[in-house]
Amino acid sequence: MKDLTRYARQYLFAKIGEEGQRKLMSSRITVIGCGALGTVLINTLARAGIGFIRIVDRDFIELNNLQRQVLFDEGDIRENLPKSVAACRKVEKINSQIEVDAVVSDVNFTNIERLIQDVDLVLDGTDNFETRFLMNDACVKLGKPWIYSAAIGSQGLTMVILPGETACLRCVFESAPPPELTPTCDTAGIVATASTVIASLAATEAIKFLSGNAADLNATLYSYDVWTREVKSFRLDGLREVTDCATCKRYTFEYLTGERAQKTTTLCGRDAVQVTRAEPVKLDFAALARRFEKMGEASFNPFMFQAKLDGYEFTVFPDGRAIIKGTGDPAQAKTIYAKYIGV
Amino acid sequence: MIYLDNAATSFPKPARVYERMDRFLREEAANPGRSGHRLSVEAEAQILQARNILAKFFNVKHPERIIFTLNGTDSLNIAIKGVLRAGDHVITTVLEHNSVLRPLNALAANGKIALTKLDASKEGLIDPENVRKAIRKSTRLVAVTHASNVTGVVQPVQPIGRIARESGALFLVDAAQTAGVIPIDVEQDLIDLLAFPGHKSLYGPPGTGGLVVGERPQLVPWREGGTGFDSESATQPEEFPFALEGGTPNTVGIVGLKEGVEFILKEGLERIQNHERSLVRKLRDGLARLSGVHLHGTSDVAKSVAPVSFVVDGLDPQELSVILDQSFDIAVRAGLHCAPLVHQALGTFPKGSVRLSPGYFNTAHDMEQAVSAVREIQSQVSV
Repeated sequence: MKDLTRYARQYLFAKIGEEGQRKLMSSRITVIGCGALGTVLINTLARAGIGFIRIVDRDFIELNNLQRQVLFDEGDIRENLPKSVAACRKVEKINSQIEVDAVVSDVNFTNIERLIQDVDLVLDGTDNFETRFLMNDACVKLGKPWIYSAAIGSQGLTMVILPGETACLRCVFESAPPPELTPTCDTAGIVATASTVIASLAATEAIKFLSGNAADLNATLYSYDVWTREVKSFRLDGLREVTDCATCKRYTFEYLTGERAQKTTTLCGRDAVQVTRAEPVKLDFAALARRFEKMGEASFNPFMFQAKLDGYEFTVFPDGRAIIKGTGDPAQAKTIYAKYIGV
Repeated sequence: MIYLDNAATSFPKPARVYERMDRFLREEAANPGRSGHRLSVEAEAQILQARNILAKFFNVKHPERIIFTLNGTDSLNIAIKGVLRAGDHVITTVLEHNSVLRPLNALAANGKIALTKLDASKEGLIDPENVRKAIRKSTRLVAVTHASNVTGVVQPVQPIGRIARESGALFLVDAAQTAGVIPIDVEQDLIDLLAFPGHKSLYGPPGTGGLVVGERPQLVPWREGGTGFDSESATQPEEFPFALEGGTPNTVGIVGLKEGVEFILKEGLERIQNHERSLVRKLRDGLARLSGVHLHGTSDVAKSVAPVSFVVDGLDPQELSVILDQSFDIAVRAGLHCAPLVHQALGTFPKGSVRLSPGYFNTAHDMEQAVSAVREIQSQVSV
């Protein structure tokens, strides 16, 4: 039997106790996305003694991540490490009693089920709606509880989803809002404490669930603004019963079948990738231009929007399709699209 | 939608192709030649008829020497990998599609063959005299496209065929852009191997193609398997078409292809050719009038087939194609068109060009729409 000493202050808390601690130690989780939210989730849950943590992320660490992504440092950037690998190395130093699995990969409809099928809980550390809807599909299909978290600017959102019991993400958000209305950390910025607070709340729910305290789970869509201290809390009980949710009522799983997956095409002979949205939108170029204004040069006409930023050239078309020059790697193009245009 | 990507695959197909395939798949699609029952015999008769009609179409003396394949690429691979032996020399051109270049490049890179790639003239033509000069004692194969899939310029196949024949080399023609649009006579043009897709101007469905194998090539099959007869033989039978047609054929597709060719025969190849030429002329003339638009290929439409490629000053071809698709509902193709060397020769590598390839079902009005779309895009996009 494993030594509990290092967790003494945690199980001293009556709701957890020795038994709860042992449950945590035999629990398995997958954290999808290892950025501002993901690193806080992983840091907290590794220290709490969760027995197995799978970390999935396709990106590499950039200097502007260090402001909020707590598991990374300048040395990781010098080594040009993928986020999941750097996080894994850090966690191994924090807690050698637990098992960590680093996966450097895009999460998509072909691999998500494999990444979550052997865990007890899935945690959201992503930065876009498409992946969240995909997680929602896969978790509902496999009956895996998951915790949604999102942070932008000074605000964060979180919600616990127990498939079949509580409302799922698509009961709450039927579809993703249009991209010009969905700011991203790379376009609207983020106060580090917003992601830290929200991820801490999500991690608390994870600890409740995994230590045998599911009855205490928060049943709201909870929003907190670290700047204004404004709290919004939407009660979700009963919502599932009244919606006709495509995912948890009709089990259509449009994201999991790839029907609603973003598509990428590498352009022959060029350092460029075309990204096509699963659902065409009608983009407001003027709004997009305002967003890009502070970051780089941008211009548009009725047919296309063009911008130069961070060594990339963007050409975005009215239905959301984009050609991203400066990379030939589809995964990177998706990341850039998610960062600056939003999905 | 205005579909101008017929060089990739023709769309739509003649109605009779859809109808015939539907009926065949519902009522007749047994495995041809495998079993003695009525349906199997009938399916085999259909395939035989398809071979016969194609033989007439390309003037092939022995219909059984037309083998059915998956597409043009499949035909080219069967031909190239089937005839070449270690130490052979091959002459090809910069006009070729990757379906010719890649198999040859791979064989050359492995040291198996020596490869000469002939340049084209400014007009996009291969000079037969250059073929003659490149011939060596060891030249086994001369592989030339009948018409570039980028510029549409038709190549002088007969003079090249004569040079190949005189030197003892085999002559392989890639008819991807010409089969079904301009007359091809394998006897007159001295073609030993004719590779053609079924799904382009022959109006068959995707997944169909063919290879005409003359009597000179000694072709080693790389696909071996069931042929429905001679099962006691331990190895692939040498009789055509079985030598090269192991496995259950794409009967539904082949029946569709046959129907497509029958459509051409009914309409008349000349009429199809004239219509496409008039569309190409209209398109080229319209685009030529726009300043900043640079057309490739030849303005003599009698010497070319449908693909019309061009670049526009200040506009990325890929971006232009997306705008045509999304704001004007015109389907075109941009980029390198799987023919990198042509673009290097034209100076349009690596961005490539925009390619508009009208087909028999397009109208003069479609061409006007396409030209006016390009004009409007130019006027809105500051150069």
